[in-house]
Amino acid sequence: MLTIENVTKRFGEIVALDRVSLSLARGEFFGLLGPNGAGKTTLMSLVAGLRAPDSGSISINGQRVGPNAMAPRHELGFVPQAIALYEELSAEENLRLFGKLYGLAGQELRARVDHGLHAAQLFERRQDKLHTYSGGMKRRINVVASILHRPALLLCDEPTVGVDPQSRNAIFEFLQRLNADGMTIVYSTHYMEEATRLCSRIAIIDHGRMLALGTLDELLTHLPFSELVRIARNDRTTAQMQALAEYGEITKAEDAYLFKLRDGLRFSAFFAAAEELGLPYRYFNIRRPTLEDLFLHLTGKNLRDT
Amino acid sequence: MRTVVVLVGNEFRRFAADKVAISLTFIVPLVLIYIFGNVFGVNSEERVPKGIPLAVVNQTDAPAPAAIISALQKEPAFKVITSHKDANGVERVLTEAEVREMMRAGDIRFALIFPADATSDSDVALKMKFLRNARNEIETETVDGLLQKTIFTAAPQALLASLQRLGANQVGSETMARFNHSLADAIARGFGGDPAKILHSIETGEFNIPGTTPTNTNGNSFLDRLIKIEREEIGGEHAKSPIATRSVGGYAVMFLLFSLTGASTSLFDEKKAGLYQRLLAAPVRRTHILWSKYIFGILLGVVQLLTLFVAGRVLFGVDITSNVFNLLLICLAAASACVAFGMLLAALAPTAAAANGMGTLLILTMSAVGGAWWPTSFMPPFMQQLSKFTIVYWSIEGFLRVLWANCNTRELLPVLAILLAFAAAANTISIWRFRHGQIFE
Repeated sequence: MLTIENVTKRFGEIVALDRVSLSLARGEFFGLLGPNGAGKTTLMSLVAGLRAPDSGSISINGQRVGPNAMAPRHELGFVPQAIALYEELSAEENLRLFGKLYGLAGQELRARVDHGLHAAQLFERRQDKLHTYSGGMKRRINVVASILHRPALLLCDEPTVGVDPQSRNAIFEFLQRLNADGMTIVYSTHYMEEATRLCSRIAIIDHGRMLALGTLDELLTHLPFSELVRIARNDRTTAQMQALAEYGEITKAEDAYLFKLRDGLRFSAFFAAAEELGLPYRYFNIRRPTLEDLFLHLTGKNLRDT
Repeated sequence: MRTVVVLVGNEFRRFAADKVAISLTFIVPLVLIYIFGNVFGVNSEERVPKGIPLAVVNQTDAPAPAAIISALQKEPAFKVITSHKDANGVERVLTEAEVREMMRAGDIRFALIFPADATSDSDVALKMKFLRNARNEIETETVDGLLQKTIFTAAPQALLASLQRLGANQVGSETMARFNHSLADAIARGFGGDPAKILHSIETGEFNIPGTTPTNTNGNSFLDRLIKIEREEIGGEHAKSPIATRSVGGYAVMFLLFSLTGASTSLFDEKKAGLYQRLLAAPVRRTHILWSKYIFGILLGVVQLLTLFVAGRVLFGVDITSNVFNLLLICLAAASACVAFGMLLAALAPTAAAANGMGTLLILTMSAVGGAWWPTSFMPPFMQQLSKFTIVYWSIEGFLRVLWANCNTRELLPVLAILLAFAAAANTISIWRFRHGQIFE
């Protein structure tokens, strides 16, 4: 479906993308996870044909993508990071405009616009000017405007920025339905939870380089540990951290300590020691590592802090 | 109170950071004050325009018209034109027919004709025709006043010269010469002075006679009875509402520039909203977007102009129906040039605020220099030359040719060509800039 080969893009001295390669199969829900400035939006803009790469190539279903290539654009839907709609027009007028630009007309256009408005749960408000909508409502129309022509590949560039949880869930469910119907989706985000929830495969990107690529399980195998112990941070645990550090590596999180067991040791020994130190079991919580942990491992920094 | 002081300080910091606000607050007024100052002669001793073209045709060999022409040539307000080069490049004296043709073509707007019967052998009175194309009321009234002043200042000398000639015809040259010599000697004996100089004054009429100064040119002056100026309007004969017809074009094009520049700078708003990312990810090219902006701007401009002209028709009786095809042509050309100007601003400016700030400065300057507010002939020569590089000047010229002079399409073609050439040049630069600039990035 989508093939990205050795793509590099520079803006002056800044290397926004550095020899990125990627291949997507039809029907994938693919996540691009990285902090702000990682190169996600640049990659999206190259795939959308808004810019040309300095080197390398991108193709959709075998058709080369670029600023002057019109044919691949019919295969493609693009949900920009911004709410790229005309605020002074109604939702229906916006959708009709973007539908027409893809060649839709007459009954077909009307049917697709109506379907999109129903899917966004905004059919009743279709004639209201967009500036009267909430941010979440606009975001939903922002997505619908990109899929009226039923593209084979949908690019979503952080489509839930600034959205309330209810609208976010509605967008997630809408995208999952599209994907279930066979649409290939590339979803860029800096929210680990979104990538984990939605994506069948994820690429972690930072400073223009692809650091890791695979399913969630495949990605987590990059970590040298398979479990993580979260320890509540309070006076009692803080006083004993030095003693517990003998059993593994301890790092500080927002309101807790994160403990990774040293190779060759067993959790039973660690918990026995904790019990000896008078720390109750309720202070400990074993959990599976997350993409956040992987990002920290790969880059030495937290995803949220960058 | 401290809170207010803190907030006032913050307002100043924000103002200092806003280059557009600074330019609108200081630069625009300074530029306009400079232009106003030049127009109204604040820096010059005489607050009158200079070098207004005035064609003069003298069909007599009488001394009085020659004396007046000489006075007009010395008057800085006028640039007296008495000859022109023919098709072979030979300098020839202008005829009345040629002057009328030049006035109809808009090459000159004022002419003074001394007809063959300007003077007679039996009368000292002087007749002349003042032809005027009053397409700008302020200019016409000013020129009329300046012309009267110059003529009446030179009139005593001219009339005394006529009197000498009349006397010579009546009593013979020799008798007249003897009379003049006797008179000069008598004056020299009675009042002193050089008889030769007094004789020269008598023969040429170079006297300062109380009561004949230009400050006394009202209806009671005897000069009014001796100098007959017949006024004839050339052009604008069809204009039903002259004042409205003359002014509607200038203001229309100024507002057209404001509205179309605003429409063009909406490119920045759409970029900010991310709309170009969505549009260009669709099967839409940059040129599609630019053409859509351009065509919309032209249509909006034509509709706006026609609305203003219809309002002029309804409210002031401006005749827009007798030359409607050419009116549409000039509206189209003016709108094309104005949209191109707006697109050029959008292409060159880094931000919408900068484009709007530059736009305000340039539109007001072009309106002032281009003749929307006052006649260009009132400005210094370099500003008159500058005016010809503005859309406002050529748009007004076009509107006046259509509405005032009732020109046909052939006569309108040069103006249409200039406006469309400006549009083409501005569009070429804009497209190049849009291709290489950041607006679609």
